[in-house]
Amino acid sequence: MTGAPEALGRRTSPWVLLLHTVTFRQARALVPAVLALGVTRGLGDGLGTVVALVVGITVLSLLGASISWWRFSYTDGDSAVVVTRGLLSRSARTVPNDRIRGVEVEAPVLHRLLGLVRVRIDAAAGSVTGEEELVIDGVTRAEGDRLRHRLLTHASAQDSFEGGRHAAAEPEEELLRFDYRWLVYAPLVGSYLAVPLAAGGALLRAAEELPDQFVPEFWSPDVSDTRIVVRLVVSGLLLLILGSIIGSALVNWRFRLLRRGGALVAVRGLVTRRHTELDIDRIRGCTISEGLGMRLVGAARVSALVTGLGDAARRGQVLPLGPVELARALSVELVDHPGPLHRHPPAARRRSIARGTVPGFLVAAAGGVLMAMTGWWPLLAAGGALVLLGIPLGLARYGALGHVAGPRSFAIRSGWLVRSHTVLQDRAVVGWEVRQSLAQRRAGLVTVLACVGAGSGGYTARDMAADEAAEFAQAASGSWAGTLTPYG
Amino acid sequence: MDPMSAPPPAPVREPAWSLSRAAIGLWVTQAVLGTVVYAAIVTAAIVFVPADAGWAVPLLRWLGPAFVLVYAVVAIAIRPRLRYRVHRWEVTAEAVYTLTGWLTRTWTLVPISRIQTVDVNRGVFQQLFGLATVAVLTASSQGTVRVPHLEVDVARRVAEDLARRAELVRDEAT
Repeated sequence: MTGAPEALGRRTSPWVLLLHTVTFRQARALVPAVLALGVTRGLGDGLGTVVALVVGITVLSLLGASISWWRFSYTDGDSAVVVTRGLLSRSARTVPNDRIRGVEVEAPVLHRLLGLVRVRIDAAAGSVTGEEELVIDGVTRAEGDRLRHRLLTHASAQDSFEGGRHAAAEPEEELLRFDYRWLVYAPLVGSYLAVPLAAGGALLRAAEELPDQFVPEFWSPDVSDTRIVVRLVVSGLLLLILGSIIGSALVNWRFRLLRRGGALVAVRGLVTRRHTELDIDRIRGCTISEGLGMRLVGAARVSALVTGLGDAARRGQVLPLGPVELARALSVELVDHPGPLHRHPPAARRRSIARGTVPGFLVAAAGGVLMAMTGWWPLLAAGGALVLLGIPLGLARYGALGHVAGPRSFAIRSGWLVRSHTVLQDRAVVGWEVRQSLAQRRAGLVTVLACVGAGSGGYTARDMAADEAAEFAQAASGSWAGTLTPYG
Repeated sequence: MDPMSAPPPAPVREPAWSLSRAAIGLWVTQAVLGTVVYAAIVTAAIVFVPADAGWAVPLLRWLGPAFVLVYAVVAIAIRPRLRYRVHRWEVTAEAVYTLTGWLTRTWTLVPISRIQTVDVNRGVFQQLFGLATVAVLTASSQGTVRVPHLEVDVARRVAEDLARRAELVRDEAT
């Protein structure tokens, strides 16, 4: 059945056939085509057609799943992982073990019923193509753990030999455990608030697609009665709050952060259980982010910045939500903090206010023209209000700005809607970009961007004093940045 | 007010070398083409949109040609020379260093030890003028240095030299 090269290849569990058939994984792409065919040929609206369609799609799914299962194999060799796949054009992707940056084992709910997991292997590719990812879908939990263990100890065993030998019985140290009291922060976090909204949207869409006779008759409220409107709004808000708490609980269920040998392991999730492993040697820094609402109650989240980790925002999370003191303490564990931040010069405050009020002035100018031509004033008034609002916004943005360079690391803070405080090791920097617009030139300011091969790729210190830039860059990276020093 | 009278000192050092002079010709060519495209659009608008179509049309019939004229003067006569004066580059013992931009200036510095790949690209117009762009890529998606519009043989030499030196001092820390 299989040729000689695949003789050593391992296969995924045959149970994935069931999984992929049930979720129409392969046939999903066919559904629109089938629907289009049905529309052009005219669908009979009887039950028979529906059954035929369902059976047809299921059979197609099963067929597709069987073929891809049959042709899929993987090998974890001593030096590389090879994944072979494809029916007609065979593709074999080889990822050397020393390029593997992280292994994630996730168990969505259907997988868990069958005792299976999905393994994602992150590999660093060149900077241009970005990250590559290998997915091995549907191996047993034990095999998933074996793979994760083997791949990651390989990755680090080359420099520290004992990692490979004692890894099996390596002690785990728990750094952090999610406290359910932290769930009360959830309604103040934008991304968790989005969960119930998205769910509501999906429900509405589903209701629209149902044939009319199945849609229950909704009670249409009498909008003219204020009390009813108030009640509706209040219950809507309560639902939103409840939904965000539930959403956050589902995602962060039994979140634990462990240190196991040379890796940080984050486990979380109720429905889909995720098991993310980060190589500590590759952690270059961390970001503490506090949204507007989170700052009110002293909550924060922490992400580790790991070189070559794909989908960094989600996978790097080492504290999804928690008290800010804990976030600070954890970030100190991850990377040395360089000391208190330096404020930016007063000219930066003026720039910040100018930036904050520009949209208001533009709207006001358009409003002025409009009023002169047609006498319609509300736009002008709105522009004026925006200008007034822009002042505190500019001040708040200025208040968030800060930077400091310490002996082995540096920190940059910015942002008002989400204030992020990033601490990076000096060795993380792969380049500097110094930008100066005409306005900044007059004000004696520059924007400095530290280019980093981790996280979002670059971290910006906006409106720094122009004469500090070269010194900061050199202190925050190395002697090579001395090239920037003027007249040197 | 003449902005050139007392320019504030540059915040960081200026790189030492200029681009190829042929770059001016390239920028002028691009600007001429841009002007032709804009002029064609404005002409089409004036021809096909009736003059009494709406409240802003008479105004726009004047603003369109004025915009094209201003663009032509700035892009053909001023910007290429200004750009040539501003754009600079340098390869030092430790790093690649460039300065680009004519209104907003951008200085970019990448150490040779962090270079991952070096590309030499030649666009259609660059080929006409015998120019090439050297792109130096790092592990960061934002840490890319482009040295535009060097003479082809200079670009090739620089790229080879950088690639060879990067190989010698490559730092796998990132």
